[in-house]
Amino acid sequence: MTDELLQAQALRKQFGNNVVLRDVDLSVGRGEVHAIVGENGAGKSTLIKILGGVHRADGGTMKLEGRELILNSPQAALDQGIVVIHQELSLAPDLTTEENIFLGHFPRNALGLLDRRRMRERTRELLDRLSIEIDPTVPVGQLSIAQQQMIEIAKAISVEAKMLVLDEPTAVLDANRVDTLFDLVERLKAQGIGIVFISHHLEEIFRIADRVTVLRDGERTGTSDVSAIDQDWLVSKMIGREFEAHHTQARGMGEVALELEELSSEGAFENVSFSVRAGEIVGLAGLIGAGRTEVAQAIFGVRPHSSGQMKVFGRPTRFSGPGAAKRQGIAYVSEDRKAFGLLPNRPVRENATISNLARFRSLGLLRLDRERAFVREQIEQLDIRLPSMQAEISTLSGGNQQKVLLGRALAGRPRVLIFDEPTRGVDIGAKREIYRFIEELAEDGVAIIVISSEMEEVLRLSDRVLVMRGGRVAAELPRGEATEESVMRAASLD
Amino acid sequence: MTETSSPPAAARAASTGDRSATLYRLLRQTGVLAALVLLIIVSSFLNDRFLSVPNLMNVLRQVSIVGILAVGMTFVILTKGIDLSVGSILGVSVVLFAGLLETQSMAVAIPLGILAAMALGLVNGLGVAFAGIPPFIMTLGMLSFARGLAFIYTGGTPIPILNENFYDLGNGYTFGVPNPTLILIATLLVSGVVLALTPFGRSVYSIGSNEDASRLSGVPVGLYKTIVYVISGGVAGIAGLVYASQLSVGTPIAGQAYELDAIAAVVVGGTSLFGGKGSVAGTFIGTLIIGVLANILNLTGVDPFVQQLFKGALIVVAVFIMARSSRA
Repeated sequence: MTDELLQAQALRKQFGNNVVLRDVDLSVGRGEVHAIVGENGAGKSTLIKILGGVHRADGGTMKLEGRELILNSPQAALDQGIVVIHQELSLAPDLTTEENIFLGHFPRNALGLLDRRRMRERTRELLDRLSIEIDPTVPVGQLSIAQQQMIEIAKAISVEAKMLVLDEPTAVLDANRVDTLFDLVERLKAQGIGIVFISHHLEEIFRIADRVTVLRDGERTGTSDVSAIDQDWLVSKMIGREFEAHHTQARGMGEVALELEELSSEGAFENVSFSVRAGEIVGLAGLIGAGRTEVAQAIFGVRPHSSGQMKVFGRPTRFSGPGAAKRQGIAYVSEDRKAFGLLPNRPVRENATISNLARFRSLGLLRLDRERAFVREQIEQLDIRLPSMQAEISTLSGGNQQKVLLGRALAGRPRVLIFDEPTRGVDIGAKREIYRFIEELAEDGVAIIVISSEMEEVLRLSDRVLVMRGGRVAAELPRGEATEESVMRAASLD
Repeated sequence: MTETSSPPAAARAASTGDRSATLYRLLRQTGVLAALVLLIIVSSFLNDRFLSVPNLMNVLRQVSIVGILAVGMTFVILTKGIDLSVGSILGVSVVLFAGLLETQSMAVAIPLGILAAMALGLVNGLGVAFAGIPPFIMTLGMLSFARGLAFIYTGGTPIPILNENFYDLGNGYTFGVPNPTLILIATLLVSGVVLALTPFGRSVYSIGSNEDASRLSGVPVGLYKTIVYVISGGVAGIAGLVYASQLSVGTPIAGQAYELDAIAAVVVGGTSLFGGKGSVAGTFIGTLIIGVLANILNLTGVDPFVQQLFKGALIVVAVFIMARSSRA
């Protein structure tokens, strides 16, 4: 047993009558990675917020290095050496790496002015120590998300963090970057830092964590050394029942719904040709930056294409924008919920129907009763869990938000649906529901393109996998030939 | 389809849940309303004349012009925009009404004046929506430009309005209610319906909440943003109608700094400057709060200079309280 860094006992939190955390224990040792898993709404975020000083627990105790820990504010947590790295990074994009790292505690010279030389030296030292290769003088806005994440971690280390809480750090990274992040985590472990690691990717738990705690409905359903358990154990603790295996049946396919012929868009992708039939699910695999999202954007009319042709149900088409694409029965669910999906301060009801208000209009006015009926149906069908359809969408969990956006895509009765990372930041329970939902749509004859960086997802859903690399289609693999290995090889090898 | 594994305890939207959320929203709005009621109660104790019908009608008449402007401003602010030019556009419409009434009938002068105001709003809208000029800058430019037009049109001297039928619009009463107040209420009702019950109105909220998401959902963002500024301009024209009628003179300085009063009414009424949240009902209450405060300060004989302090403090305190309550 490692020596204890953090010990939390019987943590309890409720909002109104709603108990979101019930007597949860958690301990983290020095140099230990303790993973926390659970479906959305299981209480992970609340636990993180308590550790980060955002919320105060209503009951229970916390000790850091044996001393009583009382966190009244995020600042108090920082002062105690507990740093939370959120999925949404909090760097200032126009400042350089070194400025970001020392933001709030800039080194000063004898005159009280900014000591740039010392700042640079200490940044270099820090980055070297963590083996991070980044030019510290470039504005961080110009760096990749993965690099920015590392800077955020380096920043935490620079303030002598004893404990790091990584909230779904891998959600925004592709496979290679995940490796780099995990290398960094290993080095942090070696330096005796305790790490709380949140992830929806169970295989990551087995790669990186020493121990794991499972939460369900605000309660701790299990804690174990990772070496003593397997995925099935985790899943059953998370969902409270055994995980059933997935069976795919062959679906009947119809006419060609969408066809791209040698489509190119300057600087994004080149000569992309493929077709999707009604009732077919085509997976678009590849590394981040391979041009997959850009192809989807071109189809949907938000990115111009410079050459090539697109046919929708056999007719050559060129969309002037999302409105035109929508009228032709094409819908797109973006990979970036926050930037391109949610209307954050509007109710779920309005979020679900904004894509096709005309459907509820009569004599120029919206029929709210019809709108409510439609949304109620979507909530039922997609099993969206929410207090009310009047609730602001930002109060829902990631999985439920995503389901609302799927409902939105359906409001236009699409015949071609493009899902871009449909389960990003979504828990395993909601994920399975979304998969089943996509499959049902295909069974109903909708042509579907699924863009995904998650191998399992692509392999599970796709009738055919297209692998993109460097803006070109590098391979086309029918279901029988698409394996983790063949897709990975096509995506990353020349 | 049979579901073999539907998740447990799915708290679906029950109709009771809907109702409680509506109640909650109502409470939020009544927060502003409660402030108004409180202000009225306190005022009635401070001065006997306050609660008299003539005085209340007086308040309603006095807030009409800014109230009308604030309705148009609400549309713009809901899209996360701002319209600094409404005072100047009002000025243009006022001098146009006066100028046109010298030779034309009301039936010609009124529509033309309002159309001109809408045209200036259209320029704002095109600049913001299609040229990508920030609303603050675009309408700041228009603030100066339109004021310039008003001065050029009049040559700097006010144009008297001699058509006596025209006076009735701003000074008359119908069923005991001042005409300007009726115009304000009509503007409010139409706007309320448009915002709550039309695809356009719904989209105004969605654009303010997340413009990119709205665009991807197929909302004609550019067109609707343009329309919002045309509405704001047109509404400024309507306010100009009341102004010209009340003063019976077309002065080129009409409506100077009114844009600030309109913005104040909107934010005191609970509409967020960050877009996507608010209502014209709130704006109306905000207008009344400012109006009642001014009225009671007058009645109790508070120095006009000191009144400015009260108004300034009210705006800041109101927004502070709202920021607090929405976080809780």
